Amino acid sequence: MTLYLLQRLFGTLPVLLLITLLVFVLLHVAPGDPVTMLLGQDTTAADLAEAKKRWGLDQPVHVQYVKFVLSAAAGDLGKSFRFSAPVREVIAQRLPATIELAIFSILIAVALAVPLGVWSGSRPNSWIDNLGTSFGLFGISMPNFWLGIMLILLFAGTFHVLPSAGRSTYGVAGPSQTGFYFLDSLLQRNWPALKDALLHVALPAVALGTNMIGILMRVTRSSVLETTSEEYVVTARAKGLGEQSVLWRHVFSNALVPIVTVVGLEVGTLLSGSIIVETVFAWPGIGSLLITGVSARDYPLVTGLVLMYTLAFVTINLIIDALYAFIDPRIRY
Amino acid sequence: MTRRQSFLLAALIALLIVTAKPQPVPAQTRVSVGVTETMETFNPYGDSVSLLYGIWCQVMGCLGTYDFDKGDYAGMLADRWEVKDPNTWIFYLRKDIRWHDGSPFTADDVVHSFNRVRSDPQSKQTQNIAPIASASAVDKYTVRFTTKKPTAPLLEYLFDRLIITNKAIYEKHGAEADRKFPIGAGPYKFKELIPGQRFVITKNLDYPGMKNLKQAPDEIVYRVMREDEQRVTALLNGEIQIAQFIPPHLRKRVESDSNAKATTVDAVEIMFLAMQPKPPFDKKEVRQAVCHAIDRDRIINTLLQGLAARLDGPIGPGQYGYDPNLKPKYDYNPEKARKLLAQAGYPNGVDVELQTPVGRYTLDKQINEAIAQMLNAAGFRAKLLTPEWATLWANVQAGKTPFYYMGRGSIVDPSVALSQYFETGGSPRIGYSNPKFDALLATERQTFEPAKRRKVLSEAMSLLTDDAPACFMWRHKMIYGMAKQIDYKPTPSGRIFGEDIRVLR
Repeated sequence: MTLYLLQRLFGTLPVLLLITLLVFVLLHVAPGDPVTMLLGQDTTAADLAEAKKRWGLDQPVHVQYVKFVLSAAAGDLGKSFRFSAPVREVIAQRLPATIELAIFSILIAVALAVPLGVWSGSRPNSWIDNLGTSFGLFGISMPNFWLGIMLILLFAGTFHVLPSAGRSTYGVAGPSQTGFYFLDSLLQRNWPALKDALLHVALPAVALGTNMIGILMRVTRSSVLETTSEEYVVTARAKGLGEQSVLWRHVFSNALVPIVTVVGLEVGTLLSGSIIVETVFAWPGIGSLLITGVSARDYPLVTGLVLMYTLAFVTINLIIDALYAFIDPRIRY
Repeated sequence: MTRRQSFLLAALIALLIVTAKPQPVPAQTRVSVGVTETMETFNPYGDSVSLLYGIWCQVMGCLGTYDFDKGDYAGMLADRWEVKDPNTWIFYLRKDIRWHDGSPFTADDVVHSFNRVRSDPQSKQTQNIAPIASASAVDKYTVRFTTKKPTAPLLEYLFDRLIITNKAIYEKHGAEADRKFPIGAGPYKFKELIPGQRFVITKNLDYPGMKNLKQAPDEIVYRVMREDEQRVTALLNGEIQIAQFIPPHLRKRVESDSNAKATTVDAVEIMFLAMQPKPPFDKKEVRQAVCHAIDRDRIINTLLQGLAARLDGPIGPGQYGYDPNLKPKYDYNPEKARKLLAQAGYPNGVDVELQTPVGRYTLDKQINEAIAQMLNAAGFRAKLLTPEWATLWANVQAGKTPFYYMGRGSIVDPSVALSQYFETGGSPRIGYSNPKFDALLATERQTFEPAKRRKVLSEAMSLLTDDAPACFMWRHKMIYGMAKQIDYKPTPSGRIFGEDIRVLR
């Protein structure tokens, strides 16, 4: 198992290299550069040239790339032009917001979709199944930015019950220790701040998670449906086991592998979906950071972020693969 | 228990009693402002957007600002200034200003700030000091700027632009100073900056005159909210009290709410259609035909719902050197446009490609769709292209876009912008060259007497309007939404100063 994981980790190196190369080339081929984007409208050509030189952008692309790879290998992702700060620092500062949002989205999705899916799958064609299936279809087909705007209009605009944007109300929370507002307020026992953080995360988490609810619900349903017709389920029933016991101990635990796979895949989708949702809700995570970075043509920042996204995808897949072995003893590495 | 311990214990108990007693807390006023630009760096020189110039001016300090009500420059940290000779400007600083840590503000700080704009590796503001060769302290409260060549519009470069920072703190802490000791000398103090989220400042009662501004908010929170819907919803939801830049179609939603109101202001940004003097635009008649082909009034009255002021020359009322009698004026006349086209040798029309950004200016795409149709109705065969902003902007700056819709902001004194877009060698953005116009601009820059200078400027702008390397369209009226209890008159430049905000109690 350890050997397998190490092999997998090692195998990701060329992927990372290829992806950074791709991003680097794409960014440089696209018109516009950090200097033109960041200096004011009133900048003269001489100022532009001077700034390009100052920021090392006057060198050929391949030289810039080799420099980037060498320093990245040493753990230094360079300095963001837009933020005037090291890329690692900028990303580290924004990452907790995205992770917090993703965790809440997954929690909401799993808490809703799995019971609903199991229920639907165990009673095919009942009213609850029809309701669940339609709900799942709604979740899959709903574009999350549109859902986000609708949620804002409804809960912030019409009912005035939830805040429309941001992570917190200014002045409620104490100084941040971990970067996770939820965790901070728990550590500081600041209950108003906890409530504030929960209120703020509610709408974006729902907007981001709805898609996952749909997919997860449908996969759970079909997986349960499939498992129900297995012979050992029939045997279990024949032994006289209670319906609930059959459903959860025999059907559900065997239907879990595809469910976990989908959760893993969806975490990846969640990360990319957060780019849009974060923009809609002014959520200061790495998704909105990527938008800022691209529109400023902030080469080091965008490359660093893509590198991070890739690493996240690879790691999540790895974790899921490792989880299989625990869920299904037949799987060995 | 030793004596020392019991003494400490007594002190502690005393302290507890004192702090436990409910203290009368004066009601603090806080105004949250939803803004469209994002703040990303603690370095006051690390950005070049108008919002941040405005915030840093209040926190750190600026030599002066443009007072739109008076139509003239007004000092902030500078008390008064004079032009000793065409290349020497003397600024006399206020003597009653102190840094927020109590140390006195002096000429050395100004010189230090000038040097930092020029040499800070993160500086994105070098263009603001481009005409200046050097700065030096004459005495503790007097600064001398020496320009490279006579520059009458120098204040356009410096005021609202040159952020003053503390020399001693920077020398002690270097680049770390910005993040760890954001100590300014302005009317507001730095409280908190979370990149990408918010900038919080608090009122500095020690700044001259601030004690009397009782209605100015004690605390201002600038919150980044880039989506239009979001700012309006947040305003109506009570999350913010002022919402910047509300698009025309959302104005009704603000006005129909009993707790909010909307107000408008003419932006200083001028909108224009630029035409590079390459075929077919190398012919003056073709350029003039474009100007006659567009029904600006109709676009303003229908698409923009009256929320723009037509321009009959490069600038409009309130901007320095505006001349209402500028000639010629382009009326909407598609027949004349056709005739001009025929005169230029295109009796059967001509293909043109118009480019516009999308979402950068109010209704830019819709407006240019209308413009393209109007051009077609007047004998052009126009195709509309809508590239992404970064692409378009880079191409415009490189001189690769022949025909485009664009705005030029922060124009108070038009001299700098005119030179940048239309003077020979100013920039490749249009690539226009006209020795007569160059000569007028050169004269204007060396003319320090206001009345004479206005006259030369007017002559230059008249020439430009006639020759039409660009069609000047309009200035947008920017809509600000605000809560009922706020009284705020927005400024054309888009800066939001706490001193201009009044919280009605």
